[in-house]
Amino acid sequence: MYYLQEKIGEFFKSGHTNNWAVLVDTSRFWFNYRHVANVLSIYRSVKRLGIPDSHIILMVADDMACNPRNPRPATVFNNVNQHINVYGDDVEVDYRGYEVTVENFIRVLTGRLPPSTPRSKRLLSDERSNILVYMTGHGGDGFLKFQDAEEVSNVELADAFEQMWQKRRYHELFFMVDTCQAQSMFQKFYSPNILAVASSHVGEDSLSHHVDPALGVYVIDRYTFYALEFLEKAKPGSKKTMGKFLKVCPKHQCISTVAVRTDLFNRNPDQVLLTDFFGSVRNVEILSHSVLLPNITSKSSHCR
Amino acid sequence: MAESKHEEDEKANQAYAALGIGIICIIIGVPLWWKTTEVYRVQLPYNDISDLSQIPLVYLTDIEVISLDKKLDSNLVQISQQLQEDLSRKRGEEVTPIYRVTVRESVGDEQSIFNKYDNKDLSNIDKLLSELSPLQRNKYLIFLIPSNNGKLNVFIGKYYNSFVSSNGKLDKIIPLISKTVQMTIVKEQSVVKSIFNAKGARSLKPDKESMRSVRYNTGYDLTFTLTVPQPDIFDVSWNIREAVDTYLKPLVDHLKEFTQLKINSQIHYFTTLQRKPQKDEKLNEYYFLEQDLPHLINPIESTLGTSASNNPELNFIVYIPTRDQSPLYIKDKNGVKVPTNSFLSPRWGGVMIFNVPEFNESTPLPFPVKVEGKNIMEVFLTQIRLLLNLNSPTSSHEVWFDPVEVNGISNMEIDVWLRNRCFENLATSINTLQSLAQLLGQISNIVIKDDIGSQVEAAVREIKSSLKYLSTGNLVDAFHSSKRAIIASEKAFFDPSLLELLYFPEDQKFAIYIPLFLPISIPLITAMMHAIKWFKGTKKPKTD
Repeated sequence: MYYLQEKIGEFFKSGHTNNWAVLVDTSRFWFNYRHVANVLSIYRSVKRLGIPDSHIILMVADDMACNPRNPRPATVFNNVNQHINVYGDDVEVDYRGYEVTVENFIRVLTGRLPPSTPRSKRLLSDERSNILVYMTGHGGDGFLKFQDAEEVSNVELADAFEQMWQKRRYHELFFMVDTCQAQSMFQKFYSPNILAVASSHVGEDSLSHHVDPALGVYVIDRYTFYALEFLEKAKPGSKKTMGKFLKVCPKHQCISTVAVRTDLFNRNPDQVLLTDFFGSVRNVEILSHSVLLPNITSKSSHCR
Repeated sequence: MAESKHEEDEKANQAYAALGIGIICIIIGVPLWWKTTEVYRVQLPYNDISDLSQIPLVYLTDIEVISLDKKLDSNLVQISQQLQEDLSRKRGEEVTPIYRVTVRESVGDEQSIFNKYDNKDLSNIDKLLSELSPLQRNKYLIFLIPSNNGKLNVFIGKYYNSFVSSNGKLDKIIPLISKTVQMTIVKEQSVVKSIFNAKGARSLKPDKESMRSVRYNTGYDLTFTLTVPQPDIFDVSWNIREAVDTYLKPLVDHLKEFTQLKINSQIHYFTTLQRKPQKDEKLNEYYFLEQDLPHLINPIESTLGTSASNNPELNFIVYIPTRDQSPLYIKDKNGVKVPTNSFLSPRWGGVMIFNVPEFNESTPLPFPVKVEGKNIMEVFLTQIRLLLNLNSPTSSHEVWFDPVEVNGISNMEIDVWLRNRCFENLATSINTLQSLAQLLGQISNIVIKDDIGSQVEAAVREIKSSLKYLSTGNLVDAFHSSKRAIIASEKAFFDPSLLELLYFPEDQKFAIYIPLFLPISIPLITAMMHAIKWFKGTKKPKTD
């Protein structure tokens, strides 16, 4: 009799309750500065839009911010005018340097990690999670190179996603890849509820945006540069849609052709909010009534 | 002549040697290569796994109806028959409840308890009745008591007793009893839902309860955090240990056998919500609207810290508003203040805003504030119950519940929880095994070691025994079997050893084999070809 009728409203607007992001930069060495800038751009955006660090798996193969050749230590910029320091002041890298391997990447996705792995290095998603997977590095037709030593193939990636789907590790997945011939990375996917975008078609190279003479290397890749520009305009409660995001970087900006795959995805991207993948708008439920407890007289001691 | 004979012998030797080595390579080398490059896989009970979903899902429940109404004594057989008939009606769901109904007259002890309290204080009667005989899970006693005012209603006790006040009309009482059993005591629908959610929770239409509550795990970490953004102004104290011991411990103890709730607490200073509330100029109050709430959690969450265990975490935060934003309220869609001043985030935890009482400007700082255990535990206990999917019952004019109060959970609720979690575990475990079997067919490079094989077998065995226990009404054993099943099947699916081989496309395999085998195979094949030619040559009679 102390429970009042709970009003069942539509508290939960979308089909997911939590967001995860797996962001991977696969290449090392100073001349690949731009790939680190790419991944940090996306990291910065998802964090700004609300995904907490505990839900972001960031894999960065090299440390550009503290590289001795970096004239501005502890910064990574997205352009020569140093508009945005994508390194920010709060970066939590989960897998770094030589930990960024194909094996670790696939293990993170499929959840097959050794028992000793800490929480922060695990993708603890469930059937209500929307996951953003972003990859950047040097690729070719059907593969993406990791660390100059090995490569992840598109078949392997498709199989990993299928295992995730089978074990109900995601609700919807957005796959984003910025590399040469990037389209080939999602061609083999066969699991449902995946939306994919790639910076270039098969047979095309993805190009970098511009050189910073002070660094002596390219700063960022074209596709991610424009993606960041788009994301910077979004606020946490933004009503921007994925449909708009998929149109980012037309051919005259990117030079390569951005490829999109929507056939596995159930919803119309024009009706999917950007924040369904890039942010984390939590569902909340207002608690209108609580149980009543008797006031059991307490002792006078109070801990602080 | 002798020289050519010698030459012939030499050629014969060479031919035999080449053929011999070639044959050894084919007989020993090829199988050896095949065997050593094979993906190691233990034979799994594929047929058993696919048959698991064919096993009918049945659970048995004991219902004992005890009449205290003398007017009904002559109709007991009729009640029994009709009730059994009512309860065994086909439901068309994939899970079938079976009820074992017994109807009897009351015995002296029961009668005297009722007489002592004159049917009035049902809470107390419930307690005394529960002391008569040891409590038995999954067995529910329904007492038919004469109605005081001629109205029909139901009182659900904390133990396993329910009381139906009867007005003597059988055609009303029997449907009421069967409805109470199905909807309130056993909650058949929640069982159906648990299975559905565990199996196909991907339907795009989300179901509120499944989204809100955490899945079964052998343990959960509960963290209570007191967030004080201005410790220089408010000297906040809370006796969380006492609050937990008083209000939460009973719940923890009740569930201890089934899941471990590990409780931690911490105090955070100088952490703010980082989002400005809106101001109500008239009342000089501050408030957050419902749409602001989703953005409140993240800034706090990053400072909460992570626990060392891999159990799911549930966070409960008490936030003391800053002085310039006090008092702070949460308003719902209609702009009405939420009485509990708290909200819940599904599968994450809850936040409560605790307003400091007003104080005079001249009061020396820091102003002492005491957070009452009762106030916060009322909110958090409700949230914990929601997050653990202990579906809160709703009283109506027909059905009343004895409030659980400090018990945290009633025995009947534990039964419902056990039954639901048991089916959820079984459905999840069956799904996992079937997914694994399917993936093994699709993806050729998954390794299955011996111990994974035995985990799969154990899971299959436990699933079967759990289903058997359920059909005989042994709820606790059924639950424990389902728990072992889910642990074993998760272990089998997520074991790191499954991923020992990475994928190689066929053309890459050639790239590996060619430099390895080409230098050996070219001389071998040419020698064998020469040898075969030589054999053909010797068989032909010489013509010249």
